[in-house]
Amino acid sequence: MVQEILTVGFLTAFLSAAVRLAMPLMYGGLGEMIAERAGILNIGMEGVMLSGAFFSFAGAWYFHSIPMGLLCGILGGMVVSLLHGLLSIRLAKDQSVSGLALNMLMLGVTSFLYKLMSAGQSYQQVETLPSLAIPGLSAIPVIGEAFFNRDILTYLLYVLIIAAFFFYRSTNWGLNFIAVGEHPRAAESAGIPVNRYRWIAMVLNGALGGIGGAYLVLVQLGVFTENMISGRGYIALAAVILGRYTSFGVFGAALLFGAANALQIRLQTIGVEISPYLLAMLPYVITLAAMLGAIGKNSQPEGLSKPYIKGMR
Amino acid sequence: MTAMTHRKQTLLDVVTICLLTVVISALLILACGASPVEAASLFVKGIFGTKASFAEIFVKACPLILTGLGCAVAFRTGFFNIGAEGQFYVGSIAAAMVALGLPQVPGVVRIILCFVAAFVCGGIWALIAAVFKTRFNISEIIVTIMLNYIVINFLGYAVRSFLMDPAGNVPQSAKIDTAAQLPNLITSTRFHAGIVLAFVLAAAVWFLMEKTTVGYELKAVGLNQRAAACNGVPVVRSIISSAFLSGGLAAIAGGIEVLAIQKKLMEGISGDCGYTAVLIALVAFNRPLGVVLVAILYAAMEVGASSMQRQLGVPSAIVSIIIGVVVVLILGKELLRWYGKKNGKEGA
Repeated sequence: MVQEILTVGFLTAFLSAAVRLAMPLMYGGLGEMIAERAGILNIGMEGVMLSGAFFSFAGAWYFHSIPMGLLCGILGGMVVSLLHGLLSIRLAKDQSVSGLALNMLMLGVTSFLYKLMSAGQSYQQVETLPSLAIPGLSAIPVIGEAFFNRDILTYLLYVLIIAAFFFYRSTNWGLNFIAVGEHPRAAESAGIPVNRYRWIAMVLNGALGGIGGAYLVLVQLGVFTENMISGRGYIALAAVILGRYTSFGVFGAALLFGAANALQIRLQTIGVEISPYLLAMLPYVITLAAMLGAIGKNSQPEGLSKPYIKGMR
Repeated sequence: MTAMTHRKQTLLDVVTICLLTVVISALLILACGASPVEAASLFVKGIFGTKASFAEIFVKACPLILTGLGCAVAFRTGFFNIGAEGQFYVGSIAAAMVALGLPQVPGVVRIILCFVAAFVCGGIWALIAAVFKTRFNISEIIVTIMLNYIVINFLGYAVRSFLMDPAGNVPQSAKIDTAAQLPNLITSTRFHAGIVLAFVLAAAVWFLMEKTTVGYELKAVGLNQRAAACNGVPVVRSIISSAFLSGGLAAIAGGIEVLAIQKKLMEGISGDCGYTAVLIALVAFNRPLGVVLVAILYAAMEVGASSMQRQLGVPSAIVSIIIGVVVVLILGKELLRWYGKKNGKEGA
């Protein structure tokens, strides 16, 4: 069994599948990380991604264009996040309640609209984004194929991950975003408009979550199906915790979730007798263990999921 | 604001939310090219048309009542249990294992054992999150979601291995023998004994929360943990017992689904009712009797909407939209009161 796994062919296919499966989680996770670092917990990420998936499909279908599909997906995700912002920032309501309600709402809305749009008949696929090999890098054995022979959205994610790292580490704006999430009252007295920052975080949350959902449609499947996110939004929440609220951490955690998923598929194809369902449990167990391991050096933003009302003590 | 105007305001909110919900539903039906009047009459016919369809409301409400009660108990203690879905699965697995594993035990005893096993296992499953919260201060929201996925995958494993029907090659358990099934109570409907159990448990939870010291303590912890602790309420113990009860109730729903409806264990057995339950508890303001009422209303909407879908092609997803809209409106009720603010009367 070990010999079969340690072949270049197996590893290449495995890693390639892992990256592909991880990509929606990476976008969703990055969006969620930005929101959570600003102090807003968006359990509605599932709904954001579902909205992104549906509207990207609808956009790509009606305009016959992938960029338009992507744009619609981004806008669709944003609308859900902004609704969450309205409830949790403007009205200072319980963020978990709002997020769950939005998940349910979007499940209904997207299924409803899809049924209206399709009127019973099934749709053909929309065109999907092609892979573009990066010359040189894509020739590296195993890693090259998995990371550098991909679609443009994957490359965009690499840029965003690196940009987010430097943004939080070495820009004033980044520090402001952290301050808003850690201690909003202190941030406000230092002249940082807390809620304005939180609104910006929600816009980014929606855009990135929207792309995460759109990725499934525009790159992987080319079709929309009801409830197609099927829990990926919740897994993105886990990736943020496992990744300790850093962009590289989220990248790694999402890759781990993708790898666990890919491994079960690959192992089945070479006929290894281990239940894929037990393997699928692993990432969640690891996340729980990681949360226990994170005790003491708590990486969770101090002000997470606490509404901030200006001037209230 | 005085008490009187406050009550008037609440009433006004309820009326506004109901009206808006009706308007939105009518618009959605119009969007499908159907007539709202015809849809409404089909909706009503779907509910009251036959004895079986009316009984179906209670069949559908049963798991929602139990999981909703579970959520309500936990929420009132300030334990945000999103894990009703997973606890439902745990209960269904436990009940199936006992029902299939002890064939020599006579029916009634076995059924009781099934529910005890389901309750205890579901309780322990929720307890994990409670321990994480009370001991390590880790958000129960994320933990319960993780636990959901663990047990959903475990069920997938179970029905393909140790619980798989040896006579078949479909991923589901063997059929539970009639002795251990929950009996049907009304012929030519699916009205089963589990529904009675759900109502009995709802009454018990109401009694516990409203009439006993334990219930008082749970509510005190939910309202203000620090104040409760200062007044000698055992905070940790309250959260732990509330989580246990909450998980146990959701698990009983899973047990009923196995013993009364499916009569076997299979994937996707919950129909996502654990997530719906969270919203039902919220709409009911976490009151036990409110949960029963809202669950029945929700189930009635589902039954009515499925008849609308069959006859008019109006997607039954409309029900998810409605419950989502209702919760959003309840949360955002201040938005409906903008007119009040202009008069400068609004407090907070």
